[in-house]
Amino acid sequence: MSDHINKELHVCMGLNSCKNQGYSGKNDCAGMGDCSTAVGHPCHTLNSCKGQGGCGIFGTTEEFCHPGENDCKYQGSCGVPILASRFMSQGPNRGLSVWQLARKRFEQNRIAKGETFGKAPQEFGPDEAYVNKLRGTTGKNYSSCGQSGSRACSYIQDKAARKIEAEARVLKMEEKSKEEMKNILDNCGKGS
Amino acid sequence: MTSKKIFTLFDEVTPDNIEQVMQQAIALELATIPTYLSTYYSINRAQDQDKLYSKLHAQLSDSGLRTTEEIDALAQELKLDILVYANQSAALIMSVVIEEMLHLALSCNVKHAVCQVPPDLMDIGKVLSFPTQLDGHEPEFEIDSAKLSLDQLTTFLMIESPKPFENPNPEIQLDATVEYKTIGRLYKMIMKCIEENFPGPYNPKPQLLPPEDGKRNRPFYSQNSMNTVYYDREHNPHFGSADGSGGLLGVQDSKTANEALYRIVEQGEGSTTSQNHKPQHLLEWGPDNMPVPMKVIDGKVEFWPGDYDDDDETELAHFAKFLEAYSLGDYYTKKFNKIEGLDNFFSYFVYDVQSNPTQADYDNSGNEALALCNKLGNALFAYILLMVETCYYKDESTQYDLFMFGIHKSMIWLLSEVGNTINTYTYSKGNQAYRGSITWEHYDFSQSEATPKAQILQLVGALAVADPVNWGWGVKDQNYFPSLPDVDLDHHVVKGVPKVDQTPYTHHH
Repeated sequence: MSDHINKELHVCMGLNSCKNQGYSGKNDCAGMGDCSTAVGHPCHTLNSCKGQGGCGIFGTTEEFCHPGENDCKYQGSCGVPILASRFMSQGPNRGLSVWQLARKRFEQNRIAKGETFGKAPQEFGPDEAYVNKLRGTTGKNYSSCGQSGSRACSYIQDKAARKIEAEARVLKMEEKSKEEMKNILDNCGKGS
Repeated sequence: MTSKKIFTLFDEVTPDNIEQVMQQAIALELATIPTYLSTYYSINRAQDQDKLYSKLHAQLSDSGLRTTEEIDALAQELKLDILVYANQSAALIMSVVIEEMLHLALSCNVKHAVCQVPPDLMDIGKVLSFPTQLDGHEPEFEIDSAKLSLDQLTTFLMIESPKPFENPNPEIQLDATVEYKTIGRLYKMIMKCIEENFPGPYNPKPQLLPPEDGKRNRPFYSQNSMNTVYYDREHNPHFGSADGSGGLLGVQDSKTANEALYRIVEQGEGSTTSQNHKPQHLLEWGPDNMPVPMKVIDGKVEFWPGDYDDDDETELAHFAKFLEAYSLGDYYTKKFNKIEGLDNFFSYFVYDVQSNPTQADYDNSGNEALALCNKLGNALFAYILLMVETCYYKDESTQYDLFMFGIHKSMIWLLSEVGNTINTYTYSKGNQAYRGSITWEHYDFSQSEATPKAQILQLVGALAVADPVNWGWGVKDQNYFPSLPDVDLDHHVVKGVPKVDQTPYTHHH
């Protein structure tokens, strides 16, 4: 089981319900956690518990509308944590941010219950360097499964320029996802 | 090659033989899946771009024909040619594999509804071995389990051809009884028989059904996954299939039966039904007896309206996807051949796997991990067939369990892990070194008294001993092999395996 056995289990940064329930346990309140506490898993149906499916990589359009909202183990859509660069691969929202939809679902649930929440440490979710630094790992791949290659890369040969170009591309996707959040939710409303 | 017929071949589809013909249709859909997967697994989709660049740079430098600046630029251009094509061709093949899984389910739905007899996938699996053929197709042609190449893509084009074609190599044509000239024509004969003789409504039988808005959660099918994604030269993502490309369909009468069969034909061949009479690319042979490629301009091909399987022209048919992969592969092969010092284009990203390898090859090699890994791959594929077949004996609650805890996990993760790991093992045959690949030979669970799942766990255990670095997780992590459903050959499904507290269904085993 998770090394965070006594914590609420959630799939990523900014999706925690309580104070000190982020990965490092130092967040002030709900929605301000720094990373996932869920049992790490890389792929569709490999989650151990309720609410631990990350979404976006393998699964159905309906599943992709509810990241981190699966009812039970083995029913989650994809791996955790959800990096900022992860986009949905299926459905009318394909190409758009998984983390932002997960955060929106989290906010909706809190508001529906009359509960408050704070800002996430990063507006669009964590990147791999952030997760590596937080978890004390070096160069570990947290991007979860899939064989099509990195979702945060470019083909420029100069490595510094490659990184800048890749970050710009991910940011473009993130900003587009933010702009289209209403459409994303509307699209989900039709199919789920 | 010896032709090995699975079926008695008929001149026409009649009420008396439709059950056998539907089983034939299911067999040809099933045969495409390992064929395409074998090629998919041969592709190194996302290799280290810096190592590739260095290799190309060194090869270009050795020729001494260019300045440093010219070499830098050309190495980058060629690197992109390789990386983008490798990823794109793999994504296109995977998108077809996924739709072939759909076609398998649709044809099983039709058989169960119209014939009132469940599909027999395990029996097909018993006789499926490579090289194989599409029984009854005229001309018959050899279908190999093989790595990506222009020859293999030619085979794919022949499988999915929208129009009849002549075998360009008649000397290797198989002995066959003439039955159908394209898969679409076979389905049209079936449709005619259903329309004339089986109007319905049919007695309800278990089928794999699509989700219904606001009702059942039936997460059985999805057109795209991250494995159907590829990136263009600017690293923008593209998706192998359109969302509206058609999914599962319940069969209740002749109208829905034929709608399901139309869906198979259109997704495979394109402009043959509702898309009729629109111009489309066809399988035409050049003077070298190879397919005539589409024109490639600026790294792209131009499609025609009939190449799509929908009026909106958003979803390419399988034939068009393969013709695109063939045409670009042909283009880059010629481009690389013209540049001194370079290797064959495909050799930069395709693993050197043997065509139609066998378990005996691996047993004889002395590489125990390779031999066990292949057995595991074959056992997993057989188990997937067993689980799909079992869905046609069970209600939706068990179908849900089999898909969520078994079929998805087996296809997306377990079989994929075998397919992508087995090529790290090497062996020699006839003074030639090869990398391993799944042989897709029948794994006979009936040879042991243990359940199929128990046999799979035994194989994983043995493999974890032979290669603990790559397979130790297989026995340690309960969320992978140990949590598969426990299905026996008589379709009995053990209750509560895996133990999941809550599913969307009340179970009525």
